[in-house]
Amino acid sequence: MKVSPWILLAGLLALAFTLATKLAATADNWSGRSKPENVFEMLLGDGRRLFANESFTMADVYFHSGYYPSMFDQNAKEQREIIAASHGHKETEEEEKKEDFFGQPHDWIDAFGRNFRITRHTHLAAHQEREILPWLRLAADLDPQKIETYTVGAYFMREHLGRPNEAEAFLREGLRHNPGNSEILFELGRIYRENRHDLNRARNVWEYGVKSYLSLSPDLQKENKLVYEELVMNLARLEDEAGNYAAAIKWFEKGKVVSPAPDAIQKQIDDIEKKLAGAKPVAAPK
Amino acid sequence: MTVILQTQKLRVEYRNRDFRQANKVALLGLDLEVRAGEVFGFLGPNGAGKTTTMNVLLGFIPPTSGSASLFGIDVRQPIARQRIGYLPELTYYYKFLTAEELLRFYAKIFGLSRSETDRRIADLLKLVELEHASKRPIKSYSKGMQQRVGIAQSLINNPDLLILDEPTSGLDPLGRMKVREIIQRLKDEGKTVFFSSHELGEVEAICDHVAIVHQGELKAMGTVAEISAGHPNLEQAFLKVVGYQNAAAS
Amino acid sequence: MNKIFALAGVVIKELYRRKDFYVLFILTALLTFAAGSANFFHDAKIVRYLKDICLLLIWVSALLVAILTAARQIPAEREARTIFPLLAKPVSRAQLIVGKFLGCWLATGLALFVFYLFFAVITGSREQIWPVGVYLEAAWMQWVMLAIVIGMVLLGSIYFAAPSSTTTIAFIVVVGILFVGSHLNTIALQQGEPVQSILAFLYFTIPHLEWYDLRDFVVYDMGMAPVGAVALATLYAAAWTGIFLLLTWLGFRRKNLTT
Ligand SMILES: Nc1ncnc2c1ncn2[C@@H]1O[C@H](COP(=O)(O)OP(=O)(O)O)[C@@H](O)[C@H]1O
Ligand SMILES: [Mg+2]
Repeated sequence: MKVSPWILLAGLLALAFTLATKLAATADNWSGRSKPENVFEMLLGDGRRLFANESFTMADVYFHSGYYPSMFDQNAKEQREIIAASHGHKETEEEEKKEDFFGQPHDWIDAFGRNFRITRHTHLAAHQEREILPWLRLAADLDPQKIETYTVGAYFMREHLGRPNEAEAFLREGLRHNPGNSEILFELGRIYRENRHDLNRARNVWEYGVKSYLSLSPDLQKENKLVYEELVMNLARLEDEAGNYAAAIKWFEKGKVVSPAPDAIQKQIDDIEKKLAGAKPVAAPK
Repeated sequence: MTVILQTQKLRVEYRNRDFRQANKVALLGLDLEVRAGEVFGFLGPNGAGKTTTMNVLLGFIPPTSGSASLFGIDVRQPIARQRIGYLPELTYYYKFLTAEELLRFYAKIFGLSRSETDRRIADLLKLVELEHASKRPIKSYSKGMQQRVGIAQSLINNPDLLILDEPTSGLDPLGRMKVREIIQRLKDEGKTVFFSSHELGEVEAICDHVAIVHQGELKAMGTVAEISAGHPNLEQAFLKVVGYQNAAAS
Repeated sequence: MNKIFALAGVVIKELYRRKDFYVLFILTALLTFAAGSANFFHDAKIVRYLKDICLLLIWVSALLVAILTAARQIPAEREARTIFPLLAKPVSRAQLIVGKFLGCWLATGLALFVFYLFFAVITGSREQIWPVGVYLEAAWMQWVMLAIVIGMVLLGSIYFAAPSSTTTIAFIVVVGILFVGSHLNTIALQQGEPVQSILAFLYFTIPHLEWYDLRDFVVYDMGMAPVGAVALATLYAAAWTGIFLLLTWLGFRRKNLTT
């Protein structure tokens, strides 16, 4: 019997497609892992986390408009301090100089080559800071568990780009992947407090952050002490502003335990106590 | 008459890639002379060294020793090739060009003027009967058409000397006929034609001079009449020269 | 000179009659459009990543065009035996090499022009800025660098019979130089002997292709690199191209073409 190869091909294709529709439903269960989150997870598996760090670094490169040490520039590694992790740059002149990782040219090749490299340490102007966002987006897609990505991204969108809504959405996305993460909750609370001036929501989020911090193992608590301190201190100031002096004092007391400068906090507590004594009619808690 | 193609003690060794084996000696001291206006048949069995000789004449391979010249100019100088036309044994031409573009390209290499080029191309396309296909890429040509492109390109500069390497091998009878006609026409125009062949009937029909090489050595050179003297025809003379005893005895 | 231009013309015709270039261009355009359609936090003004990606694609594509075109020129002439009717004409092997070089270089330039035009239109339509000088300088430097690459590939192509080996080796060498060329001496310091001396030697003897990469100036709106330096770099590239072409000729001039 003679079968046209086209008919054969059509038959095989039909078979393949039918099987695909039948199997697609069950295929997910075979591998035993959940459906891939996005194309990166599908393509790279867990290797994508490596690229996430690169992508995060690229955000920093963009922030410096390409003025950045390569992996070969000596001593540069230590100076590779991530931008935005520091929540905004307040580098002094000296620090800027220290970051001149090029140093003196080693030879004429190096010297001449600098004509074609970016050799000026600059930071993006405020309105241009959006340019780093694609890399943060990519970093988040590559490694949804990388907390810095969300906090840094939200910081820039909230503080410099005037986009609190996007910042909030990004943080919420981070929370979905990292439920109860206190760093993300802290940033989220700042949006409510600083941008929306919604003290109640800020308080809720921060208190949830504290709770979630306290449920961590002692080791993790130690690691995340800083965010706890920030949460507590911010809660304290929030309550102070809301007029809930008792609550404020309670938070300040907790802050004093972890703060490196307990004396300063004590002074704040004293101030509030003075206020309490002065103005008898306590503002009703909201 | 002036000698326009000459080799003196021409020796060519092909270097063997394998050091343990000896070099292959393709020509051992070949002396050739072709004069203006001759149609010169360069005869020899397969592997005799005909293509090798032509490769030296065209500068594709450097001679191991001895010398070769065209129009009295050493073949190592590109200018020696200004007045020659060459048709290789087998070739393909740039497949992505059309016949007309190919001819135009070669005309530029010869430095022909634009009007001259246009005229030549028209003439040649007519001669090889490719006018209808001249604007199609060569990759769409049949084998015979490609061979005809080859003939056309060899004539683009209106050469005084034509070097043809087995021009009729691989052609159908009609094609051979055509090539023979072209050679005849060039002869009538007073051009010199140097061509290799082992088709003796053909050589006898159109050549006035022949040389017979065998295993890299010149065995005989002269007019067709001189070579075939004492033999029934050129073929018998040839077989005798290359040492085919039976034929010689008959 | 006319002979050289005639030879170059054939190379250029080949480029635009083959599919490679179109495939690369369409691929570049598609990937750029795909990147451009990505939505990052609903901010339509983000553009640098797009410029970055597009330029990277242009670099890869142009490098491929240059290397693939140059690597096959002489081997293909020999393979298809077109070199015989060609060299039977009054053209020297030096002219052949220069003609092939010029053809590859001009063909690559043509490709670059198309690519950069695309780039300018894409970014211009987003940013509404047209820093023509910056683009011209970046494209010129890239083109000049590709001249060195083409010379290098032509040299390789007379030693490696298969264009694929030439292509692979050239690609590795060029990408290697672009990535670590300027750091070889730094890397050398961290190595023991004899690697240290070898790397330091390489550092001072390789053609420094990484100079010619001005993408950062374009992406980060840094204006133009110093024109005097560009002129010097052009001279440097011309010298290296000359060196490679000379070496190619030395290897090719006495080559037996029938083997
Ligand atoms: N490239 C080459 N390398 C080694 N030997 C060769 C090469 N070309 C030809 N030869 C040898 O040289 C001799 C002459 O060959 P050739 O000139 O092609 O003969 P013809 O054209 O008369 O048939 C043959 O023995 C052939 O095997
Ligand atoms: Mg032969």
